Amino acid sequence: MLQRFLDPATLAGLSGLDLIAKTVVDGFVAGLHRSPDFGFSQEFAEYRAYTPGDDLRHVDWNVFARSERCYLKRYRGETNTQLLILLDTSASMSFGGAPVNKLDYARYVAASLSYLAHEQRDAAGLIVFDEDVVNYVAPSTRQGQLFRLLHAIEKAEKGTRTDFAKPFAHFQNFLKRRGMVVVLSDFYEQPETIVKTVAPLRFRGNDVILFHVLDPQEIAPTLRESSLLIDVETKEAIEVSPDYVQHEYRPKMDAHIGALQTQARAAGLDYFLMNTGRPLDEGLREYLAVRQGRM
Amino acid sequence: MGFLAPWFLAGLAAVGLPVWLHLLKQHKTTPLPFSSLMFFERRTQSSIKHRRLRYLLLFALRTALVALLALAFARPFVNSAAVASARGGKLQVLAIDNSFSMRQDARLDRAKSEAAQSLSSLRPKDRGVVLALGSQAHLMGEPSGDLNGLRAEIRAIQPSDDRGSYAELARVLRSLAQSANMPVEAHLFSDMQKSSMPPGFADLALGQGIRLATHPVANQTLANFTVENVTAPRRLYDPKKVRIQATVMASGGAAGRRRVALLLNGREAAAKPVDVSANGRATAEFIGLDAPYGMNRGEIRIDSGDAFAADDHYYFSVERADPRPVLFVHAARDGRDLLYYRMAIESARDAAFTLQAASPDQAASLPLARYAFVVLSDAGEISASFEQALRSYVAAGGSVLIALGPSSSAHKRVPVSDEPIRETRYAARDAARFETVTTLDAAHPATRQAGNWAGVKFYRSARLEPGADRVLAKLADDTPLLVERQMGDGRVLTFASTFDNLANDFPLHAGFVAFVEETAHYLAGLDDRPANFTVSSYLDLRTGREASGAAIEVLNPQGARAMTLAESARAQNIQLTEQGFYEVRRPNRHNELIAVNPDRRESDFDVISPETLALWQNTGQGSRVASAASGEVERKPVDFWWYVMILVLALAVAESLVGNKQLTVDKEAV
Repeated sequence: MLQRFLDPATLAGLSGLDLIAKTVVDGFVAGLHRSPDFGFSQEFAEYRAYTPGDDLRHVDWNVFARSERCYLKRYRGETNTQLLILLDTSASMSFGGAPVNKLDYARYVAASLSYLAHEQRDAAGLIVFDEDVVNYVAPSTRQGQLFRLLHAIEKAEKGTRTDFAKPFAHFQNFLKRRGMVVVLSDFYEQPETIVKTVAPLRFRGNDVILFHVLDPQEIAPTLRESSLLIDVETKEAIEVSPDYVQHEYRPKMDAHIGALQTQARAAGLDYFLMNTGRPLDEGLREYLAVRQGRM
Repeated sequence: MGFLAPWFLAGLAAVGLPVWLHLLKQHKTTPLPFSSLMFFERRTQSSIKHRRLRYLLLFALRTALVALLALAFARPFVNSAAVASARGGKLQVLAIDNSFSMRQDARLDRAKSEAAQSLSSLRPKDRGVVLALGSQAHLMGEPSGDLNGLRAEIRAIQPSDDRGSYAELARVLRSLAQSANMPVEAHLFSDMQKSSMPPGFADLALGQGIRLATHPVANQTLANFTVENVTAPRRLYDPKKVRIQATVMASGGAAGRRRVALLLNGREAAAKPVDVSANGRATAEFIGLDAPYGMNRGEIRIDSGDAFAADDHYYFSVERADPRPVLFVHAARDGRDLLYYRMAIESARDAAFTLQAASPDQAASLPLARYAFVVLSDAGEISASFEQALRSYVAAGGSVLIALGPSSSAHKRVPVSDEPIRETRYAARDAARFETVTTLDAAHPATRQAGNWAGVKFYRSARLEPGADRVLAKLADDTPLLVERQMGDGRVLTFASTFDNLANDFPLHAGFVAFVEETAHYLAGLDDRPANFTVSSYLDLRTGREASGAAIEVLNPQGARAMTLAESARAQNIQLTEQGFYEVRRPNRHNELIAVNPDRRESDFDVISPETLALWQNTGQGSRVASAASGEVERKPVDFWWYVMILVLALAVAESLVGNKQLTVDKEAV
């Protein structure tokens, strides 16, 4: 049942991003257990005997009045963090077969993350970029922030080329507070360049998650015959035979993914490969696992 | 190699299918947008080329598959000779020319020596056969691989007086190639005389599967004199009337004066010098020959002084005899017929007969057996006893010539032969009312050389009913003029007119003398065969008169019997294989002396040009046209289409494997 709602093909049939995000998150969260952490929320958890040094503000004076014993009243934990979503809209992100391409898939993920952050009372922001910063929504918990985010995600269209260096240098200016940074891109760049560009975000105490969005045809393309492949960004054309795809492209792509994953983790970055042919929950689960680590 | 169904080769056009699949369709590419070509490098082009190279293997397999399929349906075949060649065996024929010319300067010994040396090239799978080549090819033994046996066969070849014939060699090689069922490699050891070539080049065609190698033992023309021919009478009746002509021939640039000697029974009887021009001929004539009675051995000899002395003499035989009497029986009313007949028979070139005239009554008392033949010239009424005596004479082998005049026509039948006389036909003499001869049997000995009878006018003739008798001449009104009837061992020749220049004007024509002479020789049993023969010709031993069971002895030039006893009793003829004098002894004492000389073409040492030899050898290079022209039977073809089909199946399996391996990606795409 859960898989059916999170299937990209099913989501493509829904009209708006808000509905898609709500469908994804609600369906996803419904299956999760409650958080075992304690915090400042209004939900009571347990009583504990007072020990010297405890904050007197947590003493339940009603219990003390009835029993002259000091007990501390504990509630379930409640934390706020800042989520910044970096959405790559370069031309290569528009590649993909029906019903969704990589950009659509990335928008679903971004919308779902925004909705999830909104539900968590987290401040969520968005940066849309290709070879430059296209759009920026500052992180906030203000009323209407979710709709601003969804609107910005909705407006994100196919851009031009991908250039990580220029927009990431620009991101440094927007990140004034520690939080989580989610990068949604197909990362068609050398792994060393990507990690070298993204790693400075991690130095400020941010948790960085790289969502590597790839179409199944990019991971394991199949050709019936020799074809003339045209790069959607550079318009360069190369004649490719099925035999080459079978025996040379796939190992190269696997090596690229492996290298990116290894080098990202070595730099303290979280990496997750998002296959657009698979449901979205895997990506959300990864996000929550990282967010839980921050509490 | 050929095809039994060549129209199926049109299927080779289907080879275009794999060409289209691999070359035309291969280059068709579909533009396809892709997110990034980061992992597609320019090196990909070489990869595509590599892919094409691998496809070429598949392409080659498919092309070969289609081509071989069309080939299999066209049913290819090879000749059995080619198959035998593939198996490695061949028949090596060693043809050694032992003709008369090979006697010159030990040419035959050199040929035999070279032939023995060539045996070293005989491989274990090969078989060899030795031929002695003259006018006929004699196999010295069966084909075998025994080298010692083959060497012995070579040594056994003796020089002969025969003439060489390369046409005979070609015929025997074709025959051997057919029977041996293996390729034939012929080696000819010869002096390569041009005169041994046949008149038509087609007779030299070797046929398919025969290779000819020539080993000349002489390669230059020799200057040579030879006695080419001698003309001498076979029988001699008057020594003074004999004339002997000898022709001396020069060849190879020889020229000069030569002494020509006439030898009789080993003794020189006369000699004359002659001047022979270069490559020309000169004739020496000898008048008169005082030969003793009986058979005489004559020889013409020249002092040539050239390199080939074996052809400097020429043998001939001559028989000295008395003229034979002929009985001329006539009615004695007038002597016109006797006069004309006597003049004619005495004018004959050899004066072989003397004429004795008699009336029928006189003749009745004469012993007929002593006469060569009897002439009844319009004898009229003859006595029954004389007629019976004539019948007995004819039955015993005698001959009678009957001329039918007015006296004979009254009896309504021809005497002796009893042929009916229907009527006597007359023609007016003044108004060109005469009959002429329109039909003349030129094959009969009595009329063979009688000349033209067209101008002879016949005014009166008796019309006979020839029945089954042979009609030798007819008049224009279909009246039989000359009729022959066989009676016992003898014969009766009936002339339906007279010899008196009244019933016809035949005695006034030149043909009359020839007619009288020829009929006289025929009726007297003097055959006109030549007394001189060439080596390898055949001598008829039995004419109609000799019973087949009678033994006839033939002694060869060495005096030995040339035939076995069984052959003596049955043989109809004998081949004269040596030069010299053959003696033929018959039971009726009609003995003969036959002179045999080598063919004088052997004396011409002009050799065959290399171009002609090359042309001859090329007739054995597998030309089917040449084979057909020579009438050679085509070899049985060996059809091997099923081998091709097995190859097709193997290729199909290989194509499936290669295609399955190379096109795996395509299958995934589907």
